[in-house]
Amino acid sequence: MVSLKRMAAVAAVSMIGLSACAGTDSGSSAVPGATKSGSDLLAAAPVAAAADILPGSTMEKIKQRGELIVGGSLDAPLLSQQNPVTGEIEGFDADMGKALAKYIIGEPKVKMVNAASETREALLGNGTVDVVLQTYTITPERAEQVAFAGPYYSSGLTIAVKKGATGIAKPEDLNGKTVIAGANTPAIPAIKKLAPQAKIVTFGSDPECMQALKQDRGVAYVQDETLLIANAQKDPSVQIIGSPFTSDPYGIGLKHGDDQFKKFVNDWLLKIQADGLWQKTWKNSLGTVVQGEAPTPPQIGSVPGS
Amino acid sequence: MSAFLDHLPEFWEGLIVTLQLIAASFAGAVVVGVAITAMRVSPVGVLRGIGTAYVETFQNLPLLVLLVLAVFGLPEIGIKASLLVTAVVVIALYEAAYIAEALRSGVNAIAVGQGEAARALGLTFGQSLRHVVLPQALRTVIQPMGNIFIALAMNTALAGAVGVVDLTAAANRVNLMEAQPIPIFIGAGLAYALIAACAGFVTGRLERRLVMIR
Repeated sequence: MVSLKRMAAVAAVSMIGLSACAGTDSGSSAVPGATKSGSDLLAAAPVAAAADILPGSTMEKIKQRGELIVGGSLDAPLLSQQNPVTGEIEGFDADMGKALAKYIIGEPKVKMVNAASETREALLGNGTVDVVLQTYTITPERAEQVAFAGPYYSSGLTIAVKKGATGIAKPEDLNGKTVIAGANTPAIPAIKKLAPQAKIVTFGSDPECMQALKQDRGVAYVQDETLLIANAQKDPSVQIIGSPFTSDPYGIGLKHGDDQFKKFVNDWLLKIQADGLWQKTWKNSLGTVVQGEAPTPPQIGSVPGS
Repeated sequence: MSAFLDHLPEFWEGLIVTLQLIAASFAGAVVVGVAITAMRVSPVGVLRGIGTAYVETFQNLPLLVLLVLAVFGLPEIGIKASLLVTAVVVIALYEAAYIAEALRSGVNAIAVGQGEAARALGLTFGQSLRHVVLPQALRTVIQPMGNIFIALAMNTALAGAVGVVDLTAAANRVNLMEAQPIPIFIGAGLAYALIAACAGFVTGRLERRLVMIR
């Protein structure tokens, strides 16, 4: 935990350096001595031109309301997690939401609605939330219910086992074994597809899954690679097997049929990918546990359903 | 609705697990609940104290907390059972507190004269409880017991949070593939409603058959 914090601090410091070097943004300069994660990023985040906010559009409604309503998580480390000390929601998805709010409204004002995998389509359909930013994997089935902007990030599932465990080198080796997965994660259908004889036990949160792995409730834990890398760094008693065996493109969920808003969000994604904000946001969150430079962002509209 | 009908095997497996949870934990809860009631009405102060402490403890802790503690905490001290068994034991112990309270109200509803008559006939405390007090108390509380049964049936959905693939967890998994939450959860909800309706029907019949005319 300590090393994680330190890395986050290092990343934050380097971020300050970067934005100081860039020094293009006037007017809304970073708050002096700000410690809030992502506030330096947001200072540099773009704002849409008035001409882009079409009259009568979803964007205009959001701008008039003065806040963007985002469906997301409060408990996903590095992606969208509420900091118990500050109350701020931090992570890659959370920062993307704030940056999108700033793009539309001019200020990073976000109202977070705690969504769940089983409620996202309904929340978007009935207009409770404007967008969903919650590791929302784009699939053709889901695309019949909601519209997806993006993909804005691509991740993959990988396998963690207790250190020293043998006999598991690839997903097919999970056949006939008990496998732990997060409830409502794409890991469940992925395991069923590659290892149909595996018995899957699910727990609500990532810490519960880790505890279950350590207590031998299952021989392996399948989860998003980023999360498992962070876990393995904190906990030396688990190890990660190989590289990701799936590719999960995450999209920004929007109301089905709102093509105007979808194009607007896609244009924004292209803009922040080009000006480096996407990469900085990654560095500030996922990049604090994954070594190396920010990956190349996925091509907008490159997967079925987007 | 096809999202529901296409996955009937998954729902069926989940329903079987839910029915196992309900049957096993209700049976356990009745046994423990009767024992706790006997303690609470006994003439021995220590037993009354233990009974009260039990009821207060389990009524004042949320079931989910107990489930998470049992599933993740007990293995730390070397007690490890399968997830289904752990869930059954926890739900049974939890609901026993409610059954004990319902039963105690039934015992209190019995006229003092009944106990006095039993003692006058020379029955011991155990005998008067078994032959005089509890049979009448149980008949008085059939309807509240039915309510507790229904509450227990709904509470079994929490087992899904600790890895038991019950009806709710099965519905969640199907939804993950189909992204059709409304038909899927309406389908699962109907199954729960059916269980509750059966329970209501059975308790209604039982009450009519076992009613005491005073």
